Amino acid sequence: MNQVEPWVVLSFCAAIFFIGLTGLLVRRNILVVMMCIELMLNAVNLTFVTFSKQLEHMGGQMAVFFVITVAAAEGAVGLGLVIALYRTLRTVDTDDIRLLRD
Amino acid sequence: MPNLPMINPQLLSMSPEQVQALMPYFLVCGGTIIALLACVLRVLSPKWPVFLLTLATCAVGICSSIGLLHNGTSVTLFNSMMVSDPFASFFNVLFLASAAITAMISFRYLDREKIQHPEYFVLLLFAAFGMMIMTSATDLVMVFIALELMSLSVYALVGFRRTDRRSNEAAMKYFILGSAASAVMLYGAAMLYGATGSMEIHAILQAIRTTPTLMTPLFTLGVWLVVAGFLFKVASVPFHMWMPDVYEGAPAPVTGFMTTGLKAAAFATFVRVFVSLGYGHALTETIQTHFHNILWVIAVLTMALGNFVALTQTNLKRMLGYSSIAHTGYLLVGLIAGSASDQGYAPMVVYLVAYSVMNLGAFIILTVLASRDDGGLNLPDLAGLSRRHPWLAFSMAVFLFSMAGIPPTAGFAAKYMIFSAGVQAGEIPLVVISVLCSAVSVYYYLRVLVYMYMRDPVGSPAASRMSAWSTVALAAMVAMTLQIGIMPARALSAAKKAVTSL
Repeated sequence: MNQVEPWVVLSFCAAIFFIGLTGLLVRRNILVVMMCIELMLNAVNLTFVTFSKQLEHMGGQMAVFFVITVAAAEGAVGLGLVIALYRTLRTVDTDDIRLLRD
Repeated sequence: MPNLPMINPQLLSMSPEQVQALMPYFLVCGGTIIALLACVLRVLSPKWPVFLLTLATCAVGICSSIGLLHNGTSVTLFNSMMVSDPFASFFNVLFLASAAITAMISFRYLDREKIQHPEYFVLLLFAAFGMMIMTSATDLVMVFIALELMSLSVYALVGFRRTDRRSNEAAMKYFILGSAASAVMLYGAAMLYGATGSMEIHAILQAIRTTPTLMTPLFTLGVWLVVAGFLFKVASVPFHMWMPDVYEGAPAPVTGFMTTGLKAAAFATFVRVFVSLGYGHALTETIQTHFHNILWVIAVLTMALGNFVALTQTNLKRMLGYSSIAHTGYLLVGLIAGSASDQGYAPMVVYLVAYSVMNLGAFIILTVLASRDDGGLNLPDLAGLSRRHPWLAFSMAVFLFSMAGIPPTAGFAAKYMIFSAGVQAGEIPLVVISVLCSAVSVYYYLRVLVYMYMRDPVGSPAASRMSAWSTVALAAMVAMTLQIGIMPARALSAAKKAVTSL
């Protein structure tokens, strides 16, 4: 059976992670920013699975379950905050978050 | 994939010592869940039951942690994912005390702001529980889960004034930046796992010690990403931007909780992971110097930026936010000195305690003075406070003197310990810079004092009656500040006892 080389998968994970990080820094819509955070976490999950396979050690796959759960909780809290923000601000654009500045 | 190994039955059972060592965690977790269930009983008006349950949980947790602290044993738990040692117990007392005091001062505040929802206290307990687990975690996944338990509760607390735009914005900013920092830290953990085959910090160190060839770029990058995550949580300079905004937007008691619990938890975990990852005795000389140099620069920048920007602030919460960044810098000095001086990390721990006490005290006063939506917390609003509320002004003066590091207060004793440890470790230039920065800070702390004591009151002061709870909390904080300042040896010996278990 043909197997993908680990470094290919790892570079792929790194690429996803940095796409997420870049999106977080440049995108203005909070919902997109939240998606970028999810992207970063999922890149980490994939990294864990790859290493787990490479090291033949189950710890990495166990970690993924925890990360998925935490990411779900994070999404719930984040969306709650977005709704609260939308109620007072009437927008989800980060450019309009400017009451607290130096 | 190899066949799954049989689970060792020993891992599934717990010895009586382990159960005993887990007692504070069981009690706090149980109390939190009962409080969560009590919130549902709307018909019984849950504000009193939940509030009292919160205080009881904290009290019980503190008592059992103090018991463990006297016991002084280290017990490894859950297949070495957690350890319950005096270091963890020491900080558990700090977290639970800070949660209890925050609950006490919030009660009247929540009524005044018309946000008296019992969930507030439950979130507070969950955050404290997250801090407790985080400090005792020895596995990077465990650290991550505990960190998120703490952070998610605090995000919700920061945004608790739902109809206030500043509170919402602060919560949103904190959420986005905090989640990104957690993700970066987790990526670092994944890299450490890939490089060494384990996420347990002692096992990582062991692997590096036995096979130095494992120290690949992957490992180094992993270490740096984890460190960056922690530097974000303690708000040191390249990652400090969130702190003043969040401090200004969050409800005043929550800000107090954040300055104390959150920072203490982040620093305690930082020290545990840092020491276990081999800072000070295991890594190669090059990495050691590398680490040292980078932390050195970060500490200097943090102190300088925190103190100089605080000079121009007029909002008190924001000013204390920048002052908190400056204190992070002093704590980093303690961290750098800790590995080389014979006091170890004890001065840093004492500093954390002193810092928590004086900041919590200052935020008790801000909570009492705040008008609707946390207004009225600008510098001119304090004018003539000594005539309106002489005792409040006196307490505030004690805390400000302490923050500036003037004897006989806790801040002076703690700063003295940190700086003398720094001198002992041969970090003379660093200590000189810290002392100069500390001298700058006297200006903005004493400016508050000038407003309180030497200006005439403007307008008609809002009569803010303190609740009995807040009075007790405030008196306790003043007493603690003076007590640590006058008799620092006791605090130091307790801290030494705690750090020897690291």
